Amino acid sequence: MTDLPGLAADMCLKCNICTAACPVAAVTDLFPGPKAVGPQEERFRHPRLPTADDSVAWCSGCGVCSRVCPHGVAVTEINVRAKAALAQQNGIGLRDRLISRPALLGRMGVRVAPLANAGLSNPLVRRIIEGILGVSRESPLPPFSSDTLRRRQADRIAAQPSDTVPATKLSVAYFHGCSTEYYEPRIGELAIAVLERLDCQVILPPQGCCGLPLQSNGLFDAARRYARSNIESLGPFASAGIPIVGTSTSCTLALKHEYRAILGLEGESVAGVAGATLDFFEFITLHRIAQLNRQHLRSTPLTVLYHPPCQLRGHGIGTPAMDVLRMIPDLEIVLSEAECCGIAGTYGLKREKATVAHAVGRPLFDQAHDVHPDSILSDSETCRWWIQNHTGLKSLHPLQLLAQAMNLE
Amino acid sequence: MTDLLIVGEGLCGLFAAVLASQHGADTTLVAQGRGGLSLSHGCIDILRDRASATTLRTLPQGHPYKLAGGENLDRALKKFLVITSGGGLAYRGGVEEILRLPTALGGVHATSFAPESLARASLGEIKSFTVGALEGFRDFSAELVRRNLARSGFPVPTVVSLPLLGDVPRRDLYAHDLALRFDDSEWRSELARAWKPRVGGLRLLGVPAVLGLWKHAEVIASLEDKLDLTLFEIPTLPPTLPGLRLERLLRRTALVSGVRLIEGSRALGLVDGRSGGERVAGVVVQAAGGPRTFPSDAVLLATGGTLHGGLIARQNGRILESVFDIPVQHSESRGEWTSERPLGAQPFASYGLRVNSEMRPVSDEGAPYFANLYAAGGIIGGSDRAVEGTRQGIDLLTAFRAVESALGVAL
Amino acid sequence: MPTSSLSTQLLIIGGGATGLGAAWDACLRGLKVILVEQSDLGQGTSGRYHGLLHSGGRYVLSDPISARDCAAENAILRRIAPQAIEDTGGLFVTTPADPPEFADRWRSACASSGVPTDEWTISKTLKHEPLLNPRISRAFKVADAALDSFDLLHLLAEAVRKAGGQVLLQHQVKGLGVSAGRVTSASVINTRSGETRTIGAEIVINAAGPWTQHVASLAGINLPVVLSKGSMIAMTTRLVHTVINRCRPSQDGDIIVPVGTVVVLGTTDFEVDDPADHSIQGWEVDRIMAEGEVLIPSLADHRPLRAWAGVRALYRPTKSVRDATRDLPRAHAILDHAVSDGIQGILSVVGGKLTTFRLMAQATVDTACQKLGITAACYTAETRIGSPPRRFHELPNRLADVESASGRETSIVCECELATRLGLEHSLAEDHAQALDDSRRDIRLGMGPCQAAFCGYRAAAWAAALISGSPPDGGYRAFLKERWRGVRPLAWGKTLSQIELGRRISIELLGADSLPEDPP
Repeated sequence: MTDLPGLAADMCLKCNICTAACPVAAVTDLFPGPKAVGPQEERFRHPRLPTADDSVAWCSGCGVCSRVCPHGVAVTEINVRAKAALAQQNGIGLRDRLISRPALLGRMGVRVAPLANAGLSNPLVRRIIEGILGVSRESPLPPFSSDTLRRRQADRIAAQPSDTVPATKLSVAYFHGCSTEYYEPRIGELAIAVLERLDCQVILPPQGCCGLPLQSNGLFDAARRYARSNIESLGPFASAGIPIVGTSTSCTLALKHEYRAILGLEGESVAGVAGATLDFFEFITLHRIAQLNRQHLRSTPLTVLYHPPCQLRGHGIGTPAMDVLRMIPDLEIVLSEAECCGIAGTYGLKREKATVAHAVGRPLFDQAHDVHPDSILSDSETCRWWIQNHTGLKSLHPLQLLAQAMNLE
Repeated sequence: MTDLLIVGEGLCGLFAAVLASQHGADTTLVAQGRGGLSLSHGCIDILRDRASATTLRTLPQGHPYKLAGGENLDRALKKFLVITSGGGLAYRGGVEEILRLPTALGGVHATSFAPESLARASLGEIKSFTVGALEGFRDFSAELVRRNLARSGFPVPTVVSLPLLGDVPRRDLYAHDLALRFDDSEWRSELARAWKPRVGGLRLLGVPAVLGLWKHAEVIASLEDKLDLTLFEIPTLPPTLPGLRLERLLRRTALVSGVRLIEGSRALGLVDGRSGGERVAGVVVQAAGGPRTFPSDAVLLATGGTLHGGLIARQNGRILESVFDIPVQHSESRGEWTSERPLGAQPFASYGLRVNSEMRPVSDEGAPYFANLYAAGGIIGGSDRAVEGTRQGIDLLTAFRAVESALGVAL
Repeated sequence: MPTSSLSTQLLIIGGGATGLGAAWDACLRGLKVILVEQSDLGQGTSGRYHGLLHSGGRYVLSDPISARDCAAENAILRRIAPQAIEDTGGLFVTTPADPPEFADRWRSACASSGVPTDEWTISKTLKHEPLLNPRISRAFKVADAALDSFDLLHLLAEAVRKAGGQVLLQHQVKGLGVSAGRVTSASVINTRSGETRTIGAEIVINAAGPWTQHVASLAGINLPVVLSKGSMIAMTTRLVHTVINRCRPSQDGDIIVPVGTVVVLGTTDFEVDDPADHSIQGWEVDRIMAEGEVLIPSLADHRPLRAWAGVRALYRPTKSVRDATRDLPRAHAILDHAVSDGIQGILSVVGGKLTTFRLMAQATVDTACQKLGITAACYTAETRIGSPPRRFHELPNRLADVESASGRETSIVCECELATRLGLEHSLAEDHAQALDDSRRDIRLGMGPCQAAFCGYRAAAWAAALISGSPPDGGYRAFLKERWRGVRPLAWGKTLSQIELGRRISIELLGADSLPEDPP
């Protein structure tokens, strides 16, 4: 998609297009902007000397800069690597090690979901957590589900691999990610239902956390372990020509791009998985349009504000959900103007970053206030939780609206 | 399958996308990154200081204006003005008019259409004025403006020093940062109070172009009211506000009218194998994960020249068009690409594709390379936009004609 | 025209490393010294070199005495001027294009010349420098380093002034006063103000680099000097962090030197007539890039930043055969014209390398002292040059400065090279910089990827405010013109895109071409 970071600093013309697009630089003078901490400072970094730049820590990793650069400079990738180097140098604290492991937290949390959820929604508990760990008490921590997606789908999993896949059905490997598994299994179930309605045979391959939160927090070695494990599980599907479909735009971006461009993994398997991975709506628009056209979509006279997550835009495929949503009768779609809602993965959870994160999202919150939609749609779970928390408006995955229109909800 | 796929997100590509989509075509725009609007003054240069029907007629045959038809400029610009005024951005000027505006260096920028906030400073209109030096803002020098404008025929301005409020920033601020502060009405009101004593008695005050990004009209109106004077803006180092305002307006208009926007991916052309090389089938984009095909009935190249990679110039003397590898007219000797004076005409700046009156790239013999491939804007050869002052005029006119041709309609 | 006169013991003509080195040495010995330099510090050969502090490895077979000198001086300079040196280390590598048997011969020659080497495995080498040609077969670590000549010249000038000497920049020698077979004075003109002066001297040291022949001619001396021009290219980023040499008999394009934020590739080497010939030919660029690709195969994917040339003066006493200039001995020559031409009171110093400037200076001042009948020991090998801090320069230094609390208080003028407003003010006010190009040499203004596309305007604004008599445009157009010369030979690829961006800003946005010409 963009040139790998090795060539990046050469190709930067210092034009500031990325600086003008950066949602963090727009709200704080603590961040000099992606051009400055990326290709500009890269010329002053030495692989064997300590890094001298603290201000790169303010980069949220949202990816807008790489996307808008007309020269293909991999600005985000440079910044993410620089942030990781800085984090390694300064030491990575307990908080970052915890919040970057949603699978671990999820496994613990689902066991004691009611208790955990009560605790995490208790203001006193949140204050204590903020004090000890530095997780902002203003930032949403999603409630744990009491059972997981895979447990609900145990029968399906037991029946895998299916020997008889009818010729009319397309096999699809579903990468559900941690959020669907531990926090929102309902969304996973709807995704499966929609895909099956569109004549897919849905498989749930063994999988682990995509590792993106670890990468964002500078824990590259741990991220690579998760990545290699996923490549091992998903590789056979890619080789068999089976699409790997995901409903979390950050997970799919990790599989498509970050494993190679940032974690530096190489090889046929990694490339194969990257090529086979598709965002949910990307998959539908590429492979299931004929089937979708045959569906009777129920009239849905609602107004929705659709916020394409920054990671989705980072895929470089535009916003395929819009093509599908436009097929739903009577649905009024307002498109978000914001480049980033502010959460940027785990960035907005951090006490010291929360004010900036909120300021980044403010234009979106204002737009939501002005439009006052029935709901806000976003393909990324962290965006949904954050936006719902800060606007008070219900936030849904666009596939939930599709499922509703297909009478599957 | 989209009706029209446009490659390039500059002024040309965005304008074409809006025209096509508003006309009802299913339109997709693919771009590796954003275009050069934020690097520009936000005005529409047509032919520097010589815009007249007679002058346009005397241009050489291969000039983009001749190919697209200078007589079509009126219609193209009318569309442009409808779009900008619909988005709340007022432009002033005319195809046959020249506005001479001050630059941040104290030079003169001759243009045909300028946003209202810039146009107020046109030579001939302004009598006495003052230039504001914003304290601590490194990207504008009132002193350079003062010294040099006087030598350019403008009345000599006085200079007033104006503070910027708030804590001392922890980094240098760009024009863009200041503009976002001006968008904040509280900050703005406080600032007006601080400026008031310094601007008493002034009638016309020029400041660097920082007067708001999203709320530009409101910013100017409220400041003029509080300070009791008229304000104008001078564009300064990129990212420029007049450029950003226009770009945001065009992008928003495109999205609202249903344009499918794919940012961040380089496009490679796809030829329709079944057409015997006669037609293009769309493009393949280098998306995250791998290539994605976007089939299209027609493709419009709005990829610009050498700045953003529409043309790629190699060390070995070859210059290539980067999407479909359409042959480009150029000298094979690298030494001939540039001239001695950095501020003078440069041969490379005129290199590009040859097109016919329908904006189809054609060979030297005039045969179109593909029946459904079009080109507009900086990718077309035949004019050094910087020294001729033709950039935006060519962008708008050729985009307009290309969309008409591609859709087979009169807009 | 007002004329004033000065007098001194030593008048040194030429403010390069040779001249300044001699001035400093002489000052430490208690001599009264005036140095005149026709331009700004670093506009001559010393400022146009590739940045290499030799380990001596390049000379062990061709010129062992030179090699030994380099090794010794390398160690001395590291002690006395670490601030101007980045301890990059160096590597000699055998590429597929190099004779494999050369390496062992070379290594023994290093041992006998006192040049330390340490053989590395290929995998260690490639881990250290990932962009190196993976097909290298041998690799040896040496004590090469990067020497920033601008920093060195500034340190020397500062040290000379502190020690009571005078350094007069922008002072060109128009004539030498000769009476009774003795040079007694020089008449100089301040090229900025037009003021002329006569400087009386007991001994004149002609260290004028490519102009030594011209200066000698002012005293009626015919100095047999050959001028050799070498072109270099800086790449935009630090492709390697170690000096890389090819392990083969020295030829064009042998080395890649990391200097500051760039790497320098070079050089070519051929005879020219004009001491100010700084032209760059297309074939030179292609040759340098092609040779560079042998060491870094992906070189063509990276962006060349700027090309420049320097002219070296080489002493050639017998012009019998047209030797290739590369084969002429690079050892310096100190000529006492009393002996060679019968004219007293003038010494010429020709040739040599930057690495051995201190040694050349020592020999020169020894000779001068002898002629003056003064006995004074040389202290330069033990005396640190310039003020603290006295640590090797490290690449992240400028970034650390800017990111520090006090660093954040100052505005950055040149973002590419992190040159600050304070630095520019200091340069314009105290260092008597008269044009932005002078500040460029001081603080690296405009030397980064954008080549003054952005900082040119900002700097012009400051120049307009701080230099009395600055041109109306603050020197903006002159600065752009100067930057153009180094970028134009590389006008392809992203460099051409950068040029285009520069035009959009300077012509379309700023209307620089609409300004009337400056008054003369």
